[in-house]
Amino acid sequence: MNTLALPAREARGMSPAAVAMWLLLPIALVNAVGFLWPVVNLLRMSLNESEATGALIDTVSLATWRNVLTDSFTLELIGNSIGVSLFITLLTLVASYPIAIYLHRSSGLWRTVLLVLVIAPLLTSAVVRTYGWIAILSNQGLVANLLAAFGLAPPRLMFNLTGVVIGLTEILMPYMILALLSGFGRLDPRYEEAALTLGATPLKTFWRVVLPLTAPGMALGCLLCFVLAISSFVTPKLLGGGRVFLLATEIYDQAIVTLNWPVAATLSMIVLVLFGAALALYTRALRRIA
Amino acid sequence: MMSIRPDEIQGLKQAEGFLSLRGLTRRYGNFNAVDDLNLDVAKGELVAFLGPSGCGKTTSLRMIAGLAPSTSGHIVVDGHDITGVPPYRRDMGLVFQSYALFPHMDVARNIAFGLEMRKVGKAEAQERVREAIALVRLSGKEQHRPAQLSGGQQQRVALARALVVRPSILLLDEPLSNLDAKLREEMRNEIRDIQKRLGITAIFVTHDQMEALTICDKVAVMNHGRLEQLGTPLDIYEHPSTAFVAGFVGRINRLAGTASGGLAEVAGVQVAAPGFDGRVEVMVRPHRVSLSAYAPPAGDDRYALAGTVARATFAGDILEYEVEAGGVLMKSEAATRGGEGVLAPGTPVILSWHRRDTFVYAAS
Repeated sequence: MNTLALPAREARGMSPAAVAMWLLLPIALVNAVGFLWPVVNLLRMSLNESEATGALIDTVSLATWRNVLTDSFTLELIGNSIGVSLFITLLTLVASYPIAIYLHRSSGLWRTVLLVLVIAPLLTSAVVRTYGWIAILSNQGLVANLLAAFGLAPPRLMFNLTGVVIGLTEILMPYMILALLSGFGRLDPRYEEAALTLGATPLKTFWRVVLPLTAPGMALGCLLCFVLAISSFVTPKLLGGGRVFLLATEIYDQAIVTLNWPVAATLSMIVLVLFGAALALYTRALRRIA
Repeated sequence: MMSIRPDEIQGLKQAEGFLSLRGLTRRYGNFNAVDDLNLDVAKGELVAFLGPSGCGKTTSLRMIAGLAPSTSGHIVVDGHDITGVPPYRRDMGLVFQSYALFPHMDVARNIAFGLEMRKVGKAEAQERVREAIALVRLSGKEQHRPAQLSGGQQQRVALARALVVRPSILLLDEPLSNLDAKLREEMRNEIRDIQKRLGITAIFVTHDQMEALTICDKVAVMNHGRLEQLGTPLDIYEHPSTAFVAGFVGRINRLAGTASGGLAEVAGVQVAAPGFDGRVEVMVRPHRVSLSAYAPPAGDDRYALAGTVARATFAGDILEYEVEAGGVLMKSEAATRGGEGVLAPGTPVILSWHRRDTFVYAAS
């Protein structure tokens, strides 16, 4: 064989863009089958109607959408879900930020140990962790017993919104910490020292230098936690005790208990729209930061 | 400002300089990063902290800036003990080796930051930022982000940001080490010009002896956390007080010898070594050693040594010979002149140098 043929073969090869397209094809196919197709199905289902008896009427109408969007219960449900998720996101951010800053500044073996501690909860199912919170928050739980020992009347910490907020915040913290850490790349201690020598107090330094430099990480963490919070099901179901009504639990009830699939599908589509809105907000925030 | 008059502190010598360090020490466990540093810097002086990495020069600077705690000792500025004062109340301008410009602010906002923290009025702040930008010749770059600037330009912004607040002392931490050689020389002279024009007291930390010798009024040579010598560049170079200073500042021949009765014997030559006894190190700079075919005339104040050329290195402007003489290798170098050849290895030569260029130290 003639070795001079080699360059010719290379010239016949694909352009880098074409190679990238081919490499992306498998995941695009998986996404189309595993994500897009079910979403299209859901959209189709939301256009069906449901009889009072629960029987499914195969049709194409916006009746379910109209009912859902005019019903004060579902509207309140959507508003509540957004509000609670935003509150949990904010709480997660406040609780995670100092930990992430400390982790960012630690080094060596200590940093590895801390990172493992942060990631470890992610290796446990949210169900198990939620049951852990039940053991802590229930009426005979750790907190109640501790308060009782001091002669204090324990507040209700479970089967209400308080329990859901506490549980979800802890469950989402690892995600927030990891997102914050990934966004702390620009934070060099020299910037803080420069601010200090220029006359900025530690508080001013934090507001004017540290916070702006960590904004991209905060935006990413908030997006991630908001999306996870609004779509979380296990924790609100178990810690809410059926008394906290959020979108995810309602979708479950409609689909499994009431068997009203069109309403469940419509609510699912609304969650998807909220995801889109959160993503758009994140993109805009990121552009403003940069 | 929390301040104590230095004379109120027991056992503290009266501060003599505008900036005085008294027994400044930084200890990490058993290791003294900075060990009992005593130093006076007069107003308007540019003083270099020169030494190899790990000698404590940067730690000293950080203690002066208030960014690193001192284990013991005092820092006195203009009669006020500022040892315990936090960095944001110290009124120092610090230029970092990495510049540390705020990446989320443009040039003008970076420079204005210190004025904002000092609550300077908007109109005055604007005027002062404009002046500072003009001072470092960056007019027109006000809206640029640090990432859009070259290393030299970032360096200028860092300098303007430190100077715009009119600090009592300007601290420069290896400000030129991230620049290429040509720019380094240009910036070095520019820093000196600005420092002189403003009459500002400044500390310049560097490991580069050229920077220290060329632009500074005084050089403080440090090693292992201790001050080896403080003096003018001429002092440091011509009268190094320790073997370390002689070896660190400029190139030098180091010869081991033994001294007794005021004379040291090195490589077969008797060198005056008054006050020394036992093992000594005799040093002479290569460019003060001349090389010739003949011995110097008798009675001349020169030491002479016969040897043979071991290696010749031609570097264009300088010709360096390594000469084997009396069992040691000695370097001699001289500026090249036209019409001169290079001696071949093995050529017999006579090395000679002036008595006053000979340094003798007790061997460590």
